Amino acid sequence: MTTAVTERTGAPAAHRGTVFDIGYQRYDGTREGRGRAWLAVFKNGVRTSLGLGRGAWAKTIPWFFIGVLAAIALVIAMLAGRFGPEAYDELVSHADYYPFFTTIIFVFAAVVAPELLCRDRRENVIHLYLVRPLTGSDYVTARWTAFFAVLSAAVWLPQFILLFGFSMGHPEPVTYLRENWLDIPRFLLSGLVFAAYITMLALLTASFTTRRAYASVFLVGLFAITTPFTFALAAELEGAAGQWVSMFNLTQIPVNVNDLIFGEVNAMTAEMEIPTDALPSWVTVAWYLGWVLVPGGVLWLRYRRLSP
Amino acid sequence: MPAADTLIVAENLTMRYRNVVALDGVSFAIAEGITGILGENGAGKSTAIKIFLGLLPPTSGTATVLGEDASTNVRVRARLGYMPEHDCLPTHISAAEFLTHMAEVSGLPPSAARTRAADTLRHTGLFEERYRPIGAYSTGMKQRVKLAQALVHDPAFVFLDEPTAGLDPVGREEMLDLVRKTHREFGISILLSSHLMADVERTCDRILVLQSGRIVESGEVEQFTRDTETVFIEVDANRDRLVAALEGRGVRVTVDGAGLTIEGPDESVYDHVRDALVEAEAPLRRLAPRRRALTELFQREAGAARAEVSA
Repeated sequence: MTTAVTERTGAPAAHRGTVFDIGYQRYDGTREGRGRAWLAVFKNGVRTSLGLGRGAWAKTIPWFFIGVLAAIALVIAMLAGRFGPEAYDELVSHADYYPFFTTIIFVFAAVVAPELLCRDRRENVIHLYLVRPLTGSDYVTARWTAFFAVLSAAVWLPQFILLFGFSMGHPEPVTYLRENWLDIPRFLLSGLVFAAYITMLALLTASFTTRRAYASVFLVGLFAITTPFTFALAAELEGAAGQWVSMFNLTQIPVNVNDLIFGEVNAMTAEMEIPTDALPSWVTVAWYLGWVLVPGGVLWLRYRRLSP
Repeated sequence: MPAADTLIVAENLTMRYRNVVALDGVSFAIAEGITGILGENGAGKSTAIKIFLGLLPPTSGTATVLGEDASTNVRVRARLGYMPEHDCLPTHISAAEFLTHMAEVSGLPPSAARTRAADTLRHTGLFEERYRPIGAYSTGMKQRVKLAQALVHDPAFVFLDEPTAGLDPVGREEMLDLVRKTHREFGISILLSSHLMADVERTCDRILVLQSGRIVESGEVEQFTRDTETVFIEVDANRDRLVAALEGRGVRVTVDGAGLTIEGPDESVYDHVRDALVEAEAPLRRLAPRRRALTELFQREAGAARAEVSA
């Protein structure tokens, strides 16, 4: 700590000097313990996710995806402003936005999230975390929360742009907001549903490898392979069997909950004729929770037992 | 009952990995100062350190640091530092950023973390290079960053696991100087694990020698070498007559190359040597008291342990 150890007093201000003792000093300030440690890992996770304080390449990937999601919403908002409320039914709505762009959100998570866990294990920095006032569980929850926060913000941003566009495109923006205010908590909640699910799967995958590229390729492959097979089979089978098959499509799991939150079947699911009403709602919710909590438990166990 | 200044206590500490016994019921206490834990690779040094840090649960026994069990009370780790033997540094960020982050993870507020990172980098001689990515550092600089991250939060006790690993002689001496300075000037107690006897001998106040998971020696380094003091005698002629004259006076002598060695001498030995030299008419070339290096002690212990195993 750089501390003023000597100060000449009584001398004219112009001649007053201070001697600083630089270099290592004992520290007797506050130690904020486990809470500060958790917050530090969380902050570092947010910075890593967004490439803050890193080189240009580290920023390119996250901001590219955030930019694409926002740009799509911006185009829709501009169309809403240009053509007015008559065109709203033809445009992607708040309920449709997440289902339509799930793939982009998944790829964003698949590419960015593994960086939060893989590098620390590959470079053994994890060993330095675990000897500080922080448990393996603290570490992984801080990392999880960091990416969850980033992803939530990334998916909410376009929804707010849409809201702005739809409001401004309406002849009476206040009336539009008064009539559609429920969309706000719905898209916020639905965004959290998507973010929690995607964060969990991405970080669980990352916990099995020290290579970010392996985790990314595995995740993208998993989503890419399950989607066409399950959609085609679900539409073919129809009824409860068809709906069960659709629920094995990893992208469809949060979409079903999104539809429950908005109280309507999104345009993409409807167009593909995927059965959605053959099973009770609680099955959809329980299925979603299972896909969040079981991977969460596995992830927690892996880090709880982690030791150098 | 551990003494008041005892910082670390192990009681009947045992660690088994399936069929391998890494620690076999060891008990010891470590007080303030620099303590060396010496042993060959696989002797159980790193295992002991990881148990003290709460990273590994012992098979049986207890290990406490600063009066706490670090595996159940993680708060005590805020007062501990650890420099691992293996690579553990991020390559893509600067030392300044890394140390600031590690200080925060140790519980320091952000402003204090930034200041302490700068001060610790100055202490370890990395201040001028603090904004370069760690990946571009030399091995010696990386070892310094590892030491710096162990000190950045001002711990009361630091575990250094093979701090001179991979360093050239100059870097090794600089690192040992840093270790000594860290204790001497700032009062931070240190447990230094090494398989290099010279490092321990030159740096530590006390020593624990581990062999196959057991403590085979422990005590003050100075006491170790004092207890095994010898007198070395070299003569130009009549060496055998001198040996006979000394043995005739009840002095145990061993022939050591060109000279003679008398083990564990007391004050009277010098009188016997004088008289024997006269009697044997042996021209004296050299007479010097000598202390055994820890290297010799360790080799002797290791040899005894191997003999015991083979028997």
